[in-house]
Formats: sequence, C-alpha cells, structure tokens
Amino acid sequence: MKINISTTLNDRTLEVSVYPNQTLLEFLRDDLCLKGSVEGCGVGVCGSCTVLVDNRPVSSCLMLATDAAGKRITTIEGLGRNGALDPVQEAFLKHQAFQCGYCTPGMIMAVKGLLLNNPHPTESQARDYLSGNLCRCGTYVEVLAAVQELAGR
Amino acid sequence: MRRFELAEPQTLEEACALLNDDGDAKALAGGTALLTLIKHGIFIPKTLVNLKKIGGMSGIDYDRQRGLRIGALTSIYDVESSPLVCQYYPWLAEACHLVANIRIRNMATIGGNLAHGDYQSDPPTALVALDASVDLTRGTGTRQIKLSEFLLGSYETALQPGELLSALVVPPPDSWRGTYIKFTTGSSEERPCAGIAALLRMEQGICRDLRLVVGAVSPRPVRMHHAEEFARGKEISEAVLQTIGAEASRVVDPIDDLRGSASYKRQLVGVLVRRALAAVIH
Repeated sequence: MKINISTTLNDRTLEVSVYPNQTLLEFLRDDLCLKGSVEGCGVGVCGSCTVLVDNRPVSSCLMLATDAAGKRITTIEGLGRNGALDPVQEAFLKHQAFQCGYCTPGMIMAVKGLLLNNPHPTESQARDYLSGNLCRCGTYVEVLAAVQELAGR
Repeated sequence: MRRFELAEPQTLEEACALLNDDGDAKALAGGTALLTLIKHGIFIPKTLVNLKKIGGMSGIDYDRQRGLRIGALTSIYDVESSPLVCQYYPWLAEACHLVANIRIRNMATIGGNLAHGDYQSDPPTALVALDASVDLTRGTGTRQIKLSEFLLGSYETALQPGELLSALVVPPPDSWRGTYIKFTTGSSEERPCAGIAALLRMEQGICRDLRLVVGAVSPRPVRMHHAEEFARGKEISEAVLQTIGAEASRVVDPIDDLRGSASYKRQLVGVLVRRALAAVIH
C-alpha cells in the first residue's frame, strides 16, 4: 500500500504517494524522471546519489521516500536558476572538476552542502567533508581547486 | 528494494506496542545500517517500524550534575557538532566525527548506532569509556542500564521484545582528559579495524585514574581493567606506556574479520593504546 506524503522538492511543494520500500533515489528517478542523482554503490559509500535534505547532504539510496515527508529536498536539477548555472556548477566547469561525470551530480551536491554549512572552508575542512564522495577518475585535485575558489581562498 | 510492510507510529508508546505485538517487527531509525543489510539480503524483514515520525526523541541537554542526555533519534552529526558535546566531551565529538561519511552521519542516529550492536563502530567505544547508560522504554515504563551491559556482542544487545532505546545518558566529564583513536585498514570512511578510547585524570604528573577501552577488535568494546589499575598512582613514563600497551595487547580477544586478522589486531592494539595515552598526556 502506498503512503501519501507532502514534501518540498527543489522549491516546489509536492503531494505524492510512495511505496514503503521505495528509496528516495528510486522515487526521484523512477517516479519523477529526475535522472541527475545516480546510484553507484547503493549502500551509502560512494556519494553518487547525494541530495540535500534540509540543506544537509544525505545518501538518497539509503533514505526511504516516505521520510521525505515534511522535508525540503534539493537535487542537482534544483540548483540552476532561470537557465543560469549555480556558482558550484560554474566552478566545476572552470576547473574541469570531472572526467566521466558519473560522480559529478553527487559531488556538486556535497560541495553545495559543505558551503551551506561552512561558506569558507579551508582545504583540510573541504577534504574532510568531501572524503565520502568517491571519484574513480581521480578528479579530486580539480574538485578541491573549485572548492577553494568558491570559498574565496 | 525487497518488499516490507512499514508502520509509522506517531508516539513512542505506539511504537513499543507495535514491536511488542509483532515479534518479527524491527525498529528502523536512520536506516543506514538496516537498509544496507536488507539490500544485501542479510536481513529479510516482514514489518519495519519507522521511528522517524515520532516527535521529541532528538535533542541534546547538558547539566553539570547530571551530565549529558541525548535523545535516541539525534543524528550522529548533531552529536559531533553540538557545542555542548564539543566543549565537555571533545573525544565523543571526535568519535562521532570519525563515523563513515557526512551523509551517513546526517542520517544515522546515535540510538540506532547503539541498538544495532555493530562492534565495528566508533561511538560505542568512546561511550563505554565515559561510563554512559541507555534508557530502554516499553512506552509505559523505562529502565536504565549501563551501555557496557547493554552491548552483549556482535549485533546482540540487552533490548527485550517491545523495548526501544529512547535516550543516551553520559555522566559529567569531571576532570577527565581524553582521546579517541580510530584505525582503519581501508579508506578514511571505512569502519574501524580498531578503536581506542582513553580517558585520564592526572594530578601533578601522577595518573589518578584511567579508563581505557578497546573497541572494534572483538564483539563488544572491552574495558582494560588491569591496565587501568596498573596505571593508577604512577607517572606515565615511556616504560609505563609500554607496559600498558603490552597488557592491552595480551588481554584483548580479537576476531578475524575483513578489517584484519586476529593476530594483526592484537599487535595493533598495543601500538594504538600507547599512541592514545601519549596523545592525552601531551
């Protein structure tokens, strides 16, 4: 039996029905066709499915969709405004902070979460915060360069 | 994910009644541990009781006489970033900060962490050193037991059917100085291969009291009572550090797992105990 929830997704209020065993990631991708958040490991290790819940990064692969009730969810699709990219996206482009791009939506959401929590992180704070977002192409150096620019350092 | 029924009680009483009426029902808090087991097919639930829609079960209070009280649904991140925890129990903040990654710490709850009974975790070790207790409730009545008696083994706790862990209680920090060291054999967000919590009370260069707990090497965190006794009344010299390290290494009963063999862990414990104590002293 489905559960009715009310949630705010990318600044829009939604009244939706979700399955008890449906993860937030499955709900975003399968029901809403928001394909930006992707599954890597499925167990909270890789960070590819990172979304923000009330401005904090979480693994959407380990969050039940029903727990989005009453929360404010932000996905990669919610970052740009009026056709313009978010400053984090701009910085990733400028520093070429990706290669294959699979981890990129999650990485950008994690950086977004970092900067919302701490607008001027040092490099070691950024490393610590982002240590759980894996990039198998190894673009960490470029990601950190993008973060340092965003941090105004 | 595999299908299951999901009950979503609004109160603690309701949740306990659900768990009591259905012996197979399992409580779900942050979900980071349980959903992983379900995804891997290790745990096959019929009914999960989602605790996250119960109000008033998170938050952190501190009182100089009574110490710290943390609601079971408080996230690990909220514990590590609490100004009260950082000020009075910095080693607990550190142990929480070292758990997994920021996403997991935002989702996982401290109550879930303890009730899950996974020995490969950081907070239980620091909390056993702090002589913490847990409140176990049936909805109607609540009993409080020491965490060291609550954690019985790997995934085994003293929780009775129909009981829920509702809060964590940590005695005042008094004049303890301490540290928590996590050692991983994989990447930084890995579960600990070994975790050491050391709390020390010094007076004019002499150890007045020591609490030493070794976690993650055996099915529950273990207090090193002999080593603690040995250290009391002594100046913590290099020779004393060596003896305490050797004693801890001798006493632990490590198990082989993915993070290391038993003999490796035994060797490691001696080294880490010396490092932890040296870090507290300096």
